[in-house]
Amino acid sequence: MSELSYQSPLAGLAEPHGLSVSIREIAGRGMIDLRGLGTDAAFMAAARGVLGVDLPTKPRTSASWGDIRVLWLSVDQWLILGTRARAHELLASLREALTGIHALAVDVSDMRAIIRLEGEGCREVLMKGAALDLLDKEYMPGCCRRMRYAEIAALLDVVEDNVFDIYVFRSYAHHAWNFLCATARAPAKLKLFGAQEVPG
Amino acid sequence: MSKPYRLSAGGRLIDRAKKVSFTFDGGTVSGFAGDTVASAVMASGQRVFGRSFKYHRPRGLVGLGSEEMNALVGVGLGARHEPNLRATQVEIFNGLAAVSQNRWPSLTWDVGAINNRLSRFFPGGFYYKTFMWPRSFWKHVYEPFIRRAAGLGKAPEGRDPDAYEQVHVHCDVLVIGGGVAGLAAAEAAAANGARVILADENPRLGGLADISGGQVDGQALPDWAAATGARLHAAANVHVLNRATAVGHWHHNFVMLFERVADHDPALLSSGVPRHRLWKVRARQVILATGSIERPVAFANNDRPGVMLASAARGLVERYGVAPGSNGVVFTNDDDAYQTAIVLKHSGVGVRVVDSRGRAEGALPNKAREMGIPVDAGSVISAVSTGWGGLGITGVKIATYRKGQGRVIRETGAEADFVAMSGGWNPALHLWCHNGGKIRFDEKLQAFRPGEHHDKVTAVGAANGHFALHQILEEAYRAGSRLAGSGNVHPVPTAVQAEERPLEPIWFAPATGKYNEGNKHFIDFQNDVTAADLELAQREGYESVEHTKRYTTFGMATDQGKTSNINGLGVIAEASGKTIPEVGITTFRPPYTPFSFGSIAGVLTRDLFLPIRRTAVHQWHVDHGAVWEPVGQWRRAYTYPRDGETNHQSIDREILAVRNKVGLLDASTLGKIEIKGPDAAEFLDRMYTNMFSTLKTGKCRYGLMMNELGFLTDDGVTVRLGDDHFLMHTTSGGADRISAWLEEWLQTEWTHYRVFVTNVTENWSQFAIAGPMAREVLRKLEPSFDISNAALPHMSFVEGRLGPYPVRVYRISFSGELSYEVATPANHGLGLWKEIVAAGGEFGLEPYGTEALHVLRAEKGYIVVGDETDGTTTPIDVGLDGLVSKKKADFLGKRSLDQEYLKAPNRKQLVGLLTEDPDDVLPDGAYAVRHVKDKPPMEMIGHVTSSYRSPTLGRSIAMALIENGRARMGETISFPLPGGKVVRARIADTVFYDKEGAKLNV
Repeated sequence: MSELSYQSPLAGLAEPHGLSVSIREIAGRGMIDLRGLGTDAAFMAAARGVLGVDLPTKPRTSASWGDIRVLWLSVDQWLILGTRARAHELLASLREALTGIHALAVDVSDMRAIIRLEGEGCREVLMKGAALDLLDKEYMPGCCRRMRYAEIAALLDVVEDNVFDIYVFRSYAHHAWNFLCATARAPAKLKLFGAQEVPG
Repeated sequence: MSKPYRLSAGGRLIDRAKKVSFTFDGGTVSGFAGDTVASAVMASGQRVFGRSFKYHRPRGLVGLGSEEMNALVGVGLGARHEPNLRATQVEIFNGLAAVSQNRWPSLTWDVGAINNRLSRFFPGGFYYKTFMWPRSFWKHVYEPFIRRAAGLGKAPEGRDPDAYEQVHVHCDVLVIGGGVAGLAAAEAAAANGARVILADENPRLGGLADISGGQVDGQALPDWAAATGARLHAAANVHVLNRATAVGHWHHNFVMLFERVADHDPALLSSGVPRHRLWKVRARQVILATGSIERPVAFANNDRPGVMLASAARGLVERYGVAPGSNGVVFTNDDDAYQTAIVLKHSGVGVRVVDSRGRAEGALPNKAREMGIPVDAGSVISAVSTGWGGLGITGVKIATYRKGQGRVIRETGAEADFVAMSGGWNPALHLWCHNGGKIRFDEKLQAFRPGEHHDKVTAVGAANGHFALHQILEEAYRAGSRLAGSGNVHPVPTAVQAEERPLEPIWFAPATGKYNEGNKHFIDFQNDVTAADLELAQREGYESVEHTKRYTTFGMATDQGKTSNINGLGVIAEASGKTIPEVGITTFRPPYTPFSFGSIAGVLTRDLFLPIRRTAVHQWHVDHGAVWEPVGQWRRAYTYPRDGETNHQSIDREILAVRNKVGLLDASTLGKIEIKGPDAAEFLDRMYTNMFSTLKTGKCRYGLMMNELGFLTDDGVTVRLGDDHFLMHTTSGGADRISAWLEEWLQTEWTHYRVFVTNVTENWSQFAIAGPMAREVLRKLEPSFDISNAALPHMSFVEGRLGPYPVRVYRISFSGELSYEVATPANHGLGLWKEIVAAGGEFGLEPYGTEALHVLRAEKGYIVVGDETDGTTTPIDVGLDGLVSKKKADFLGKRSLDQEYLKAPNRKQLVGLLTEDPDDVLPDGAYAVRHVKDKPPMEMIGHVTSSYRSPTLGRSIAMALIENGRARMGETISFPLPGGKVVRARIADTVFYDKEGAKLNV
């Protein structure tokens, strides 16, 4: 048999043209879904021991340590991001550290597609598919949250001021991509608030 | 008709240096940049814009803006045609094509106008009274007739070529309406640091500032409005939306704004700018500065072309330099309309004023008299005379009038070619009321005003019944400051404006001649409802105003009572002897003005119409000619027909490949849920009907899931991965639902259970390798584990590798053949699929689709939840009693199964069916009847749940839920089909193939 073949959810799509912001797939990220009780000190300590950082307990926040990033998903669920190459090893360490502790750690590296939006105006692009107040100060780097976007479930991660990662379940990757291409068309660019031209 | 009405000077909005030409009903009309279709057509001398709904009376321009109800036009050609636009809001550009509506064959000669002559046969409630009988006439005679005769514009032809979109936005303060009040409120809110959206339906801010007179801080009102508007456009915390109509207001201050982004500029449209954009605004505070709408007066034949609102006449002159005529009459009951007379006089148009009030002595009437305008106080218009066909006014009759007078005593004639009427002003309450705002009647205004509102909505200015400039500014600046959450009130500028004296209501002006003979006092112009219709409805007992509305159609359609509402209530009040507040008011419904389907759809058209879910192998299926079957939002391969094959031939080939050789199915859509925790086994015992705590690690078990009612909701195979760790498979459509179902029980009912569940459906590609040669194929794939029947028997599980691919292999079968379901992380799915296809080549492996899957499982009598069950089916009904545990203390649905009616012998039970003629394939859902009769009704005793032609057996097979079916084994029952054919079938066992299951354990 030949080599292990790997196809990211959006592999093979042509680069989009004529958009007001850049969109591209982020492939090859390792992801671990971790469930446990934030109130369980042993669980929190074990997770910290492996990840090097406390699991964030404040809703809609994230925490980072080196190449590991942890997104808060709910009071008892986190998404751990890292390199795909390390995911297996990280999962094994977690499971070992969590032996005897009520928890569930699962490798979900293949479960989601990640699309990165970059550039001025990407908040406005996202506002065409999400009902969130994305211009609010809450949506600053470090913020993450689940949302309904483009009629589907999605996860928003504010990476930098004008850099957003959108996570959608793998099967919806093309839908989310096509929705972004349709709403990010350059002629449809929106700039909200700030100085506007006075109509003649 | 061709007399030009463009004045030699004036017209604030037009640019006389830029000529624009467009077509109206095919004829070329020229105007200036800044004109609307209404102003340019009026300037050309044409008065008639359309025909009325019911009587086909010629109708002209009445309003100035969105309140226009007569001059509705269709704009654009072919696929870009948009009907029912108000000519007063359509901005002209070179090449624009507009057409009038509801006329045939032409505006000036309309066949339907005979309805007007026959109007005594078209009373209120006409439709209800006439088109009742015979019943069979409705579809083929009445409806086509009504649709042709009464109707607005035509739908566009073909697929819309333009882009549309929606956007969500939040703000602290949403100000709706950019007139004086809206500008002031927005400025105050913005100055206090709020994030403000200011939306106005017009192309520019200012509202009626340009026709209201007055000064603010020494600036003429229009200049103040322009300067304030410019400041707001420049502000960092304000977003101004022009051409954006607030079409509706819903709970929690959710407001939809319909923005016409590119309708006015074909260059914008062709550059790809969205034609319309629907804004979904969530505002902490909403300020309604929606202004007010002028009321017509109900006088005889007040719908003739040339009769318009006083504000419209004034606006034509001030904004577009267009005279409404050469010599006209202003008919009013208030002071405001005197401004129209003054403006007309200034422009050299002949004008006189007829004022229904006994005395007309305020500042404005006195100024009018000083200018030499004749004023007839205590008078009304009692008749208008028209040219041929009612196309234009030639004169009016002026009668003396005292309040409440019902008939004409003395009248004189006067020449006139237009009438500018004003019956007072109604605050525009539509948005206030959309979301349940209460209103109260103001005696002084003779109109409703905002009362209480449960949402954070505040009305200011004319929308709140305040018309004096200083009052408007004071109120709006205070509200803007307060609602921005600041204690600092923005300084209020000084206003100077002529004081106006109150109006006196007049709901009906007496007419020349006998009442209602040849005269019509129109209340609702768009729906052709007259004062007489409303009075008739009262006499016929339609006491509730809501009933009167439906009976007469008053206040309906696109107009939503903008101009008709209070006048209608006034007539009803007088006819019923009640006061207007006692009569009550009809409901204002969204939208305020119609908005496009394109904006409602946004980008969710074509391939975005519905989210489509793809498996990792999707493109391979496409490349191999798959025909699709939608399963939930998934697209699954139904079958893979080869060149020259029909779907049926292809499905048969796939089935026989599985039975005789080996097949490959993409089963990735199956739900997969990991369940882990000390209480996981007990939790599963409660969720399923059968026992899972006894399942050994590495083994699989088929489970049935019921809801609390004892009805089947899902099924699937669950695997024990470890002592406290399980993987549950659900149906393809059930993954999200069952995952949520498990969470719900854990989070809300069994909170003591220590169990976590994680839905990992999307992480895995999963393929079934099924058929007698399946093991050979698997062996070729270099398994890292023992695949012998002894090491990996039916219903067991192993984790390992196939070559380089990490896999979980489940030896489970939905086909009755030796079968392995192989799961690999989805990003490796396509690679592994191709390896399996390659490895299977020498064994005759063929990919098979969902239809083959279904036939294969039906041959084995395996149920599908959703086919054999319908939400009222128990495990006992489908013959799976053996899977309902008798040992477990409790599980979901257990108690319900003990109910008498779920144990009753006459319940429908699942049976197999063999048709007498093996070539007859029963339709899905066909009814079995107790006795066949010539025609329905016949007593139904059951229905077909699954039905196929089985290539394995060379005949048709079916399953059915039949009353007391298991006791009728061997009986023949009848299925009458549409068309008269009766198919007879023998009740048989549900398992048609390999009853012993020998093929599973090889």
